[in-house]
Amino acid sequence: MRVRSDRLLFYALLPFGGIVVALFALLINVLVDNSIPILEREGLNFFTSPQWRPSETPGEEFYGILAPLYGTIYTSIIAVAIALPTSVSLAVFVTDLAPPRLRELFIGLVDVMAGLPTILYGIWGALVLAPFLKDRLMDPLHTYLGFVPLFSCQPVTGYTVFTAGLILALMVVPFMTAVIREAYSRIPDTYREAVYSLGATDYEAARTLVSMIRPAILAALLLGFGRAAGETIAVSLTVGNSASISACAFTPGYTIASLIANQFANAGLYRHMTSALYAAGLILLVIGLALNTAGLYMLARWRKTRVGR
Amino acid sequence: MSIASLRRYLSLASSISRLVKPSLGGNGYAASSTYALQTVGLNVYYGGRKILDNVNLAVPRNTVFAIMGPSGSGKSTLLRVFNRLVELAPNARVEGRVLLFGRNIYDPSVDPMEVRRQVGMVFQNPNPFPHLSIYDNVALGPRLNGLARNGEELDRLVEWALRKAALWDEVRDRLHEPATRLSGGQQQRLCIARAIALKPRVLLMDEPTANLDPESSRRIEQLIVELRDDVTVVVVTHSPGQAARISDHVAFLFSGRIVEVGPTREVFTRPRSELTERFITGALG
Ligand SMILES: Nc1ncnc2c1ncn2[C@@H]1O[C@H](COP(=O)(O)OP(=O)(O)OP(=O)(O)O)[C@@H](O)[C@H]1O
Ligand SMILES: [Mg+2]
Repeated sequence: MRVRSDRLLFYALLPFGGIVVALFALLINVLVDNSIPILEREGLNFFTSPQWRPSETPGEEFYGILAPLYGTIYTSIIAVAIALPTSVSLAVFVTDLAPPRLRELFIGLVDVMAGLPTILYGIWGALVLAPFLKDRLMDPLHTYLGFVPLFSCQPVTGYTVFTAGLILALMVVPFMTAVIREAYSRIPDTYREAVYSLGATDYEAARTLVSMIRPAILAALLLGFGRAAGETIAVSLTVGNSASISACAFTPGYTIASLIANQFANAGLYRHMTSALYAAGLILLVIGLALNTAGLYMLARWRKTRVGR
Repeated sequence: MSIASLRRYLSLASSISRLVKPSLGGNGYAASSTYALQTVGLNVYYGGRKILDNVNLAVPRNTVFAIMGPSGSGKSTLLRVFNRLVELAPNARVEGRVLLFGRNIYDPSVDPMEVRRQVGMVFQNPNPFPHLSIYDNVALGPRLNGLARNGEELDRLVEWALRKAALWDEVRDRLHEPATRLSGGQQQRLCIARAIALKPRVLLMDEPTANLDPESSRRIEQLIVELRDDVTVVVVTHSPGQAARISDHVAFLFSGRIVEVGPTREVFTRPRSELTERFITGALG
């Protein structure tokens, strides 16, 4: 009797699970189908060319994704490079150092930040952060440290790869902190006692314990990178949206997500652009899927270890 | 200031203060006390709960001192008082005096880090750092405390500690393998080596054989007796048999109070308290 009613529930709910799988398959199908024309037309050049050239004359159209791809990776690297040390510090602070009341406040605040609509980050980034960064950080850095390739160009506006990277950092910090904090706070007390029993200072103890959760930190990094690479609205409001490939972080750039968001509305005016944007979307999907799978896999493996359990 | 230069500055500052202040391990103290550890009117509370009640003990130097008692009697807490590890619990409070070679380690002028450098600890479950190699586990303490000036010195120190812990022959060819590849008994001896590498004057052991097979336990018991020449050992055990086998002095702790303390032979042959007798004969949980 029991078994039968469970069966019933299983079949009753099965469609909902099925819907998810079907939607995912459909999504991939649409992306692939619509990407094929541009990939057949341009071949590998689609990936290796920095040119993005719409034209009224279909024969002259040419779409290369390299610049936005580069921008996606560049902004994401800036984002995790800033977010990683921040998240580790925040996790250690919240777990080890903050008094209990403050700890709850921080955890709550970080959760809220993770859930904010991304447009808010975008508006704030574009209206407040971008001009501030240009005057207070990017201009001085260029003036005094201009020999460093990263700072080698004079920022024209505040809308740059660097600004977008910083906004992305703010957006992935809560997320990465959550992953790292979970791992850090699960370290069994006996290891904490062991480090301290060796005469470690608080700083040395934290450093030793952090190195213990390195796999979880790597997972957080991959997942954070995946998030940053896919983020759209906040980036397209701050990155400057201009196709360029430069080592300098103070130039405007493009990301795949912001390219799609910006160009989709008028893509219909051109014969091949829609397909190019689908192909761009497909790349984004592959990147996101790869990073998330790798990150989740690492996390799952970590949770099976002695320390991560 | 970079982290590295900050650390260099801090270690410089601490070595200067060591020159100015006599350190805990300074020779001035060594002669002044025949006891490695002494507690005077020791009370310990977790929150409002009194865990240790007026504990008065004296541990003669270069002996093995056993603390036995049933589960929950406060043995681990007492042990953690001796290296101030008890302070890691935010709600812990310690009253009274604890003298390490004559000096009160709860005096406000005493740095707990300095205490822990002189009072090593081995835990109930073998807990080598799983992300570190055998070598790095032993080297961690010396590295944290700047005990070796160069790689060669560190190598020698690690080898010395592993020999003392009777593990060297088993691991000499696999020093850079993860510590977790070792068996439970080997891991516990590695933890002993890790503690010994700091050349502490006192070694605390919290039921070091509780989770080991009989053969590994036997080896560790033998090791404890041998270590007595280098350090004063305070070992917690819930097994009267183990206390009888390895200790010179023994204290029987019950509900946070010392019921009886004295030379092991005396306590085991002529217990003064009926409670002790019942514990020794196994009539008590
Ligand atoms: N951090 C803590 N906060 C509150 N109470 C604690 C804490 N640690 C230990 N206690 C309590 O203190 C009492 C003594 O604990 P302790 O671990 O010292 O006993 P033990 O003799 O070592 O026991 P066992 O043989 O089981 O290891 C126990 O009742 C325990 O519940
Ligand atoms: Mg205990």
